[in-house]
Amino acid sequence: MKPFDFARPDTIAAAVALLDGRDASRPNRSALLAGGTDLLTLMKADLYAPELLIDIKRLAELDNRIEETAEGLTIGALVTLSQLEDDPRIQSLVPALAEAAALAATPQLRHMATIGGNLLQRPRCWYFRKPGIHCWLKGGDDCPARQGENQLHALFDVSPCVAVHPSDPATALLALAASVRLRGAAGERELPLAAFFAPPTDERRQETVIGNDELIVSIQIPAAAPGTRSTYLKAMNRKVWAFALAGVAAAIHMDGNRIAQARLALGGVAPVPWRAESAEQVLTGAEPSPEIIARAAESALASAEPLAHNGYKIPLAKALVRRALTRLTAPAFPGA
Amino acid sequence: MAKLHIEPKQSEEGEDGAEFQVVEDEGILAWDADSELLVVGQSYPRLEGREKVTGRARYSSDVRLPGQLYARVLRSPYPHARIRNIDITKAEQSPGVHAVICAANVPRIAWYEESVLFDATVRLVGDEIAAVAAESDELAQDALRLIEVDYESLPFVTTIEEALRPDAPKVHDGGNIAGEPTTYERGDPESGLHEADVVVTGDFETPCALHNAFESHGCTASWEGDSLTLWDSTQAIFVVRQQVAEKLKMPEHRVRVIKQHMGGGFGAKQIPWKHDVIAALLSKQAGRPVQLLLDREAENMAAGNRNPTRQHVQLGAKRDGTLTAIVARIEQSAGAYRTGGEASNVSGTYQTLYRCPNVRTEQTAVYTNTGPAVAFRAPGHVEAAFALEQAMDELARALDLDPVALRRRNYAEVDQLEDKPFTLPEGLRLSYDRVTETFGWGERTAQPADSVKRRGVGFAAHDWSGGTGHPPGYAWIELNSDGTADVVTGTQDIGTGARTGLAQVAAEELGLPLANIAFQLGDTATGPYSPVSSGSATQATIGPALRAAAADVKAQLLEVASVVLEIGVGRLSVRDGRVLVDGDTERAIAVGEVMQKIAPHTLQARGARAPNPADMTIRTFGAQCVELEVDTETGEITVLRIVTAHDCGRIINPALVDSQVVGGVTQGVGFALSEERIVDTRLGIVLNANLEEYHVPTVADVPVIEHARVGVPDSAANSTGAKGIGEPPLIPTAPAIANAVFDAIGIRFRAGPLTRQRVLAALAARETNGSGEADS
Repeated sequence: MKPFDFARPDTIAAAVALLDGRDASRPNRSALLAGGTDLLTLMKADLYAPELLIDIKRLAELDNRIEETAEGLTIGALVTLSQLEDDPRIQSLVPALAEAAALAATPQLRHMATIGGNLLQRPRCWYFRKPGIHCWLKGGDDCPARQGENQLHALFDVSPCVAVHPSDPATALLALAASVRLRGAAGERELPLAAFFAPPTDERRQETVIGNDELIVSIQIPAAAPGTRSTYLKAMNRKVWAFALAGVAAAIHMDGNRIAQARLALGGVAPVPWRAESAEQVLTGAEPSPEIIARAAESALASAEPLAHNGYKIPLAKALVRRALTRLTAPAFPGA
Repeated sequence: MAKLHIEPKQSEEGEDGAEFQVVEDEGILAWDADSELLVVGQSYPRLEGREKVTGRARYSSDVRLPGQLYARVLRSPYPHARIRNIDITKAEQSPGVHAVICAANVPRIAWYEESVLFDATVRLVGDEIAAVAAESDELAQDALRLIEVDYESLPFVTTIEEALRPDAPKVHDGGNIAGEPTTYERGDPESGLHEADVVVTGDFETPCALHNAFESHGCTASWEGDSLTLWDSTQAIFVVRQQVAEKLKMPEHRVRVIKQHMGGGFGAKQIPWKHDVIAALLSKQAGRPVQLLLDREAENMAAGNRNPTRQHVQLGAKRDGTLTAIVARIEQSAGAYRTGGEASNVSGTYQTLYRCPNVRTEQTAVYTNTGPAVAFRAPGHVEAAFALEQAMDELARALDLDPVALRRRNYAEVDQLEDKPFTLPEGLRLSYDRVTETFGWGERTAQPADSVKRRGVGFAAHDWSGGTGHPPGYAWIELNSDGTADVVTGTQDIGTGARTGLAQVAAEELGLPLANIAFQLGDTATGPYSPVSSGSATQATIGPALRAAAADVKAQLLEVASVVLEIGVGRLSVRDGRVLVDGDTERAIAVGEVMQKIAPHTLQARGARAPNPADMTIRTFGAQCVELEVDTETGEITVLRIVTAHDCGRIINPALVDSQVVGGVTQGVGFALSEERIVDTRLGIVLNANLEEYHVPTVADVPVIEHARVGVPDSAANSTGAKGIGEPPLIPTAPAIANAVFDAIGIRFRAGPLTRQRVLAALAARETNGSGEADS
């Protein structure tokens, strides 16, 4: 870890001013510190060496609360994963998010990690995380995982980088049609999650479109139609404390015995949380049946392009999709 | 004084050094099954338990000395390279830096075969190049970045397959075959295969597993004048002392090695590593104490691993299950160097576990440009069991025999290597009996209603050449004026609870309550020589030495008591802190009271470990049953329960033995399901040298583990009847799990670990071509 300065601003405006991303020649000048569960590991591995750490963990103006309004839920950027896991409103209104939070990391990490930082965390790709390897995402010429040990990598080829996005809550939030509210030097903007996450490109080697001078203020989850059900399922290489080999979040609104609305997102399969719109189309308006559910699962993975060692993720993700949908469309769904 | 016998030494293969051995008779009768023992056999809590749970126990990483510096090692980023030049000038000028060492400013110290401490050729990513000591760990890291190294990158190999190619780059000048391949043969294996009614053949692969003990490697070095003290996280304080003294050209008595507590070693800490000498050299140069702790990454690159293997196995049997041939061709990766601490006899169990007249094993170790292998809890046997015990399961299925019945049919009553009887020939049979009864083997497995999930049961057996204990090993005892005793050994407690088990033996023989024993270990300056704590040996090595010393002290005590009480020694005994008089309970007297009569004199004795019996073979045995569930859609394996039974002789402390069993089986679950070092073969880099992507089992992965205790004293093995239990429980776990997976879904996994990737790929392959074989 390299030496850095430390600041603890009192207002969001002051924090944004310190971010000072307008100096494009020094993109690493400053970094926000909240839970620190990802930032510190990046710094310790010399993958990231900001000159200034801006501590926002105790920034009073930045919310660490969950609020319910007629429009939906507002989750402050500093809300921890354990708050999401334990909050009765999250559990009852958007169970997919509570489940995703509970399946992430360990209790100790969940007490520290904030939802804002969780959405901004960098990939766990072992080539990216290894200081000695200059991969494409770190500014190199190519992605060593493409021809290497890619068993943990992406099924959907949408970027020169085949790392997968590591966040469980992000997958759930995508299925819940959430958006993020950002504050930067130019003011505030709100982006749907689907636009906030974008596969890295040559010009923007990161997983989100957040500007260097912006921070996440909150996450908005729109109020869903009453009776909307959601769930998150995750497959790991052991029972707990591992990143998703595949994760599936689904939100379903039933109208009688038909699916009025379906949103489906996959994790662990692409550089960004992956929305399976074609599968949603299969489901919308349909009467749930094992056949329809199987068709949706096939459709969700239809455009997958497995690498040499990650083909197993296709049947895995399909199975999780089927299970999530079967659970959500069951007549005896808990709370239905 | 003990009578010494000096005999020519029967040297073991590859061993050099001493030509004679000193044989000491313990002069006591072994405790047998009828011995009425008071302290031995009880589940006393660990003597150091209070220290540990209150955080007061000082581990090697807890050492803080005045002026202490912190060291970091610069490691090679290349799997194979020549170092043209190193420039440490900038590092030396970096703030807070007190010493920088590299090949240019330290003596040439021989290490690993033909190489030296800081070798001009690096042979793995992680090889040591230079080291810095600074006022903080961070300052040391900063200085490391300033060391400039000019490398000439060389071609390299990372797998057994690559290393064996005729045109492969050479890891060492002599080529890629590490040492002499070993071949063993008895009978006529070809005829044995020919006369078999059924032959099963399989190619197995076991992964490279990383030890990942809770406490990573490390030490603190401090000089006072010409004397060096090392606080080292090691399984072998005396071996570290001898080796460090030799490397630094110092007399042994000027090196003191201390290790009071350790968070596990699992074999990786059974040899001194370069960091021991690097810390000493840095400390010498800086004139201040230096602490050098390896981080997880460094440890997992360069400080040991379980060698990956490839095993080609053939078993032949008659229709009734009688084995006619066992043939195994084994290749293993030694990594870049032979450390001298591998002890990886993969061939052994093929030769000994089952009765078979025709056996051949061929074992070849190859060099690769990866971290050097070192013993890992039952080295060799864990790897071999994965193959042999799955092959036995296949054979049982091919013969339509129960897997346990097949093993009983081929029961080895004697040691077939030397044609000697076992000290406890029924050890394995008792394990079969106990484990199958407790598990309910043979009862039908109830399948879950959800047809996607399939349950299966699996069985595996094992033997182990360790657990025997051996000389030399010594103990000193002093019975104090108040009737308490100081018991001093030079062994070490590597986290197993050895203190407690050993103190119980001393207390039992002395006739004192455990609370009256002060037990010392872990310091070469204060205790007599004790060997490395490896091979599950500590209890069986030091226990008898303690008994011998205690028996001597007790005899002296009874002589004193005889005078004090004016009663013949023949009528006296000691029990629970009192000298008892046969036939006269009224005259019993406290040991302290007897000792007061002669105060300030104390009674002292030494004890030595006698040799193991020459005409018998000591072995440890065991067997395990597993029940698990496989989710055929997601590839998830859930181990539901494991029952395990082991012949470890007399159980000195049931709670401690159970904790070894639970720990060993837990590591077995990891070896079976999730633990595998991943190396990028094009870069030569370990991609998961961390606890994030190297997946040891969590509590949620570990099933209910039931220890079906055997607990029959092996009184022919040593005077305590106890054998080691540290390593055995891990040996049969992975094959028992793999056999249970086959039972559940009909797919044979010959390469481990059984990750979702492997399970789902195999399920998909079966879908496509109907095969019940998993690709590696």
